[in-house]
Amino acid sequence: MMLSDTYTIFWREMKRYRKSRSGVLIRLIQPAIWIIVIGNTFASTRPLIQSVGFNGSYIEFMAPGVIMLTAIFTSIFGGVNTLWDRRYGFMNKALTSPISRSSIALGKMLAISLISALQSSLILGIAIALGVSITNLLMVIPIMLIVIAFSLGFSGISVIVAATSKSQETFWGVINFLGMPLFMLSPALFPLELLPNWLAFVAKLNPVTYSVLLIRQIMTGTIQISSVALDIAVICGFVVAMVALASYVFTREVNKPF
Amino acid sequence: MVAIYNPEITCSLLHAVETQSLSKIYSNGLKAVDEISIKIEHGEIFGFLGPNGAGKSTTIMILTTLLKPTSGKAYVAGFDVVTQAKNVRQNIGYVQQDSTVDEYLTGRENLELQAKLNHIPRDTMEKRINDILEVVELADRQRESVVTYSGGMRKRLDIAGGLLHRPKVLFLDEPTLGLDIQTRYKIWDYIKKIHNEFSISIFLTTHYMEEADKLCDNISIIDHGKIKVTDSPNNLKSSLGNEVVIFEMDSEVKSENLIFEMRKIPTVKDISADGLEVTVFTTSGDQLIPQIFQRASDLGIKIESISLTKPTLDDVFLSYTGRELREDNGKYDRKKERERIRKIRA
Repeated sequence: MMLSDTYTIFWREMKRYRKSRSGVLIRLIQPAIWIIVIGNTFASTRPLIQSVGFNGSYIEFMAPGVIMLTAIFTSIFGGVNTLWDRRYGFMNKALTSPISRSSIALGKMLAISLISALQSSLILGIAIALGVSITNLLMVIPIMLIVIAFSLGFSGISVIVAATSKSQETFWGVINFLGMPLFMLSPALFPLELLPNWLAFVAKLNPVTYSVLLIRQIMTGTIQISSVALDIAVICGFVVAMVALASYVFTREVNKPF
Repeated sequence: MVAIYNPEITCSLLHAVETQSLSKIYSNGLKAVDEISIKIEHGEIFGFLGPNGAGKSTTIMILTTLLKPTSGKAYVAGFDVVTQAKNVRQNIGYVQQDSTVDEYLTGRENLELQAKLNHIPRDTMEKRINDILEVVELADRQRESVVTYSGGMRKRLDIAGGLLHRPKVLFLDEPTLGLDIQTRYKIWDYIKKIHNEFSISIFLTTHYMEEADKLCDNISIIDHGKIKVTDSPNNLKSSLGNEVVIFEMDSEVKSENLIFEMRKIPTVKDISADGLEVTVFTTSGDQLIPQIFQRASDLGIKIESISLTKPTLDDVFLSYTGRELREDNGKYDRKKERERIRKIRA
């Protein structure tokens, strides 16, 4: 029952996404600008990057970062319709039906992470079109699995913030406060090895770091088992913790008057 | 016959909805619902009336398991709303005041979503949706996005969604708010039709007395969280007397004396004055009119106009809830405004 209820909410969210096609392209503009403008602006940092053992161009270095940028922002913004649903009554409709509270949260999160993966795959496509090489096109599959898992964790953050916010303003304030630092404090744009120690330390506490490193290894085909295992462990731990916390917070918050 | 009296069981099975001293106090101290006890029979259309902020929405939210009461008990379709919330949810339909259909989905997709939320088996879902679309006359527009629907069509779709899983109790919160008169009459027809066809109990809140009068078997008037009266619309109207005399005076001077004098007349049930206009509820209007002229001329008051009508539910409502406005019209004050909105929601 829990699974089919989760699927019901997932189905509704995906229907809504499919009907808002114009949004798909608009949300691609920003990451596309990042990859084109920042990718070329910092093209001359190639020797620096090579000094820490990365052999490709700067665009190739930062492409995994921009894929994660898309994933971070698509998933962290994704929970906002929780607020709409509470304001316009869909939430009450779902809450007075026999489906469980946590399946509402889970269905939303799964939909957000799939949408996030779709958006990220388009950015990956743009990167490849811009000449970013990928060792094997089949590697797109593990990359997308990482994006889905990571986005599930981040959609949890979004659902938590949305469930505890009473207004759009609060939601956007908190989300913007979270999103950018999480992206910046990672090796998305610059190698960890070249950061000051304290910054590198902070970056190592950030789950974005492990996703970027993992995708970068897969794209360049320089996979080291020990670091891959660590990356996967961190991502899995993050996802499990966020999913559990989000369903708990969501269930608690929707039982209070909005 | 030996009967073991168990109030928990008897009360919950005998009535579609029953509350016992139900109260809700919000965290800000507002007592939105104050010890209300209501009983709704199976198959009854029950009207729940009250001014803004009287406690209607809070009561509905408790009965639909959205809010937990502070104290007291509530049973819907035989189940306790707190300890058996899931069973309650399986047996209720809830049509909210504002339209809750997904605009970008088609009418049919909205009903499919509703069917899935309510665990209607896949094999019966198609037929149920087709049937209900016929009832609310939306079959020909079912494949169109709800964005293209008018307000009345959306409301019909909302009502259809609330009925899809054949609930035992249907909650209708202000079903005709903001609709034009033609649509309102049409919605009333639908409500009567579904009530007869599915033999369900309906819990209806409304601001329109005419609506309550047309549809409801019984009504309760609630104000400041308390039930003021519960009875059938006809009994309530006749409790005010069978007739209403409304007259206008030329000046307010001595009007108090006139009202004082008139209260002594045995056929007068109630009087209320609003400026120069006086409304008298009476058991025999035709005999009262000459007496009004008599007493007015004794006091030197001239009667400008006079009319004799039947009492409406509006009169009943006003006599139980008073005439003062519920929202003050002062300056905009963020804190007050928030409180006001909270009260309206309550």
